[in-house]
Amino acid sequence: MTSASIFPRRLTKIDDLTRSDHSYLATADACYFLGEYTARKGYAFSPTNHLIFNLKKGMERRDRPEWRYKGVAIQTVADALRSALNDKARQNFAFVPVPPSKAKADPLYDDRLAQVLRAIWPGQETDIRELVVQPTSTPAVHDRDDRPTPGELEALYVVDQSLVQPKPKVFAVVDDMITTGAHYVAIRNILRRVHPDIPIMGIFIARRVPEAVDVEDFET
Amino acid sequence: MAPELALDNRDFESLAVSPLRELGAYEAMWDNPGVTFKTLSEKFAAHRGALPSDFVTTAKAEEYADFVRERFRAAHIDRFGVRVNGAGEYPEKLRDAAHPVELIYYQGWWDLVESRCVAVVGSRKPSDEGIGRTRRVVRELVKDGFTIVSGLAAGVDTAAHETAIETGGRTVAVIGTPLSHVYPRTNTDLQRKIARDFLLISQVPVKRYENQDYRMNRLFFPERNVTMSALTEATVIVEASETSGTLIQARAALQQGRKLFILDSCFRDARLTWPHRCAEKGAIRVVDYDDIRQHLSQTTH
Repeated sequence: MTSASIFPRRLTKIDDLTRSDHSYLATADACYFLGEYTARKGYAFSPTNHLIFNLKKGMERRDRPEWRYKGVAIQTVADALRSALNDKARQNFAFVPVPPSKAKADPLYDDRLAQVLRAIWPGQETDIRELVVQPTSTPAVHDRDDRPTPGELEALYVVDQSLVQPKPKVFAVVDDMITTGAHYVAIRNILRRVHPDIPIMGIFIARRVPEAVDVEDFET
Repeated sequence: MAPELALDNRDFESLAVSPLRELGAYEAMWDNPGVTFKTLSEKFAAHRGALPSDFVTTAKAEEYADFVRERFRAAHIDRFGVRVNGAGEYPEKLRDAAHPVELIYYQGWWDLVESRCVAVVGSRKPSDEGIGRTRRVVRELVKDGFTIVSGLAAGVDTAAHETAIETGGRTVAVIGTPLSHVYPRTNTDLQRKIARDFLLISQVPVKRYENQDYRMNRLFFPERNVTMSALTEATVIVEASETSGTLIQARAALQQGRKLFILDSCFRDARLTWPHRCAEKGAIRVVDYDDIRQHLSQTTH
């Protein structure tokens, strides 16, 4: 029997079939993802679900044996993105990771996205800009009763002015999971103000279907 | 014009798959009486790495995609998805079929495809004992953590799905109609429940199905049995006559290297020769459930 499916190595576009799952996205938003996160309590069998669990392991688990799986997940995602993107993307894109919900000084600060981006083309010049930062820690989205709106997120974010220049050809906003699209839209709005004439796209490791449970609900 | 639209990123776009465009292109390829799963799989085998959209213009793909969405909307299907060979989340195990399907439609929890799956199938008009045997084997499989896959037909299939649900298990239906149709009608509620709480899969092209005669559409039923076998690690046949469509699945399972279990009662029926022929080719005769359990994968979840 053929082995189980692997984590996807090709990007899929969020088109009219799936856009309504991500309520803040507009028709003109060019967003792409690798896998689909479909976990539900008791149903978590796909490579994408396992990868996301491992990738999002919180920093408080750093001393546990399971921690090494986080490093493996970071490498798996970087390998998949290397297959999915081409050298033109490496040359033309400024990759902007969505900032972690914890400030840099916070012990729970997790820069996994920046780590993924650095591991895509090691040794080759890649424009990775932590251009948007969140200076104050907030509870992770899953610990809140309500999900933040793009406007609320925009108010939390600050542009690192030292990274605004040079002007890139394309902004590629990178996040691990797209749910409502609020984080993407917030960053997209900010980047539009930074360089109004630069195209912006979103690249996500996975999209989450609306009824799926949060990763963290699985770990408890 | 928004900056996104001005983006000339065709080099990059060509690396990404649009599921809706692939769905439309696939439907367009099917809209020709000479096209079968066999001819399509041969076409894709001859163009390694190709997607349906490589063979169909964007305008045509959009036209067919609109048709399908319209039909599904009319059938009150508000959420559905597709899996395309070459794009994310397509199950590689489908490639073990003789003529693998390039695209499938689904509703529900896709994740179940990646669970340990066993198909339980059989006659549309089973004996009372056949129904009892179906329920017993499904209960045991559910207890061992398997997802029960069947074809939503009357008889054994229906009993298999219902027992899986009643005993708190998981179930997947691979149907021989488009998602927008139900056969038999009496399973309308069951199909809806599986689509909502579990997983419903169809490989049947919507436009072609509506355009052609019902006698031609009957061919989609045995073809979905081949897919059902490919999606699962084993098939259990509870009861089947000498001419049953279930035997298509028996042949597919053996050909695809899947385990094939045949209940002992089939062997003891003097009218039947197929159980013996299948056993010669590697099928396993099941006297009690342990004959199944010892040949299946172990729990990892």
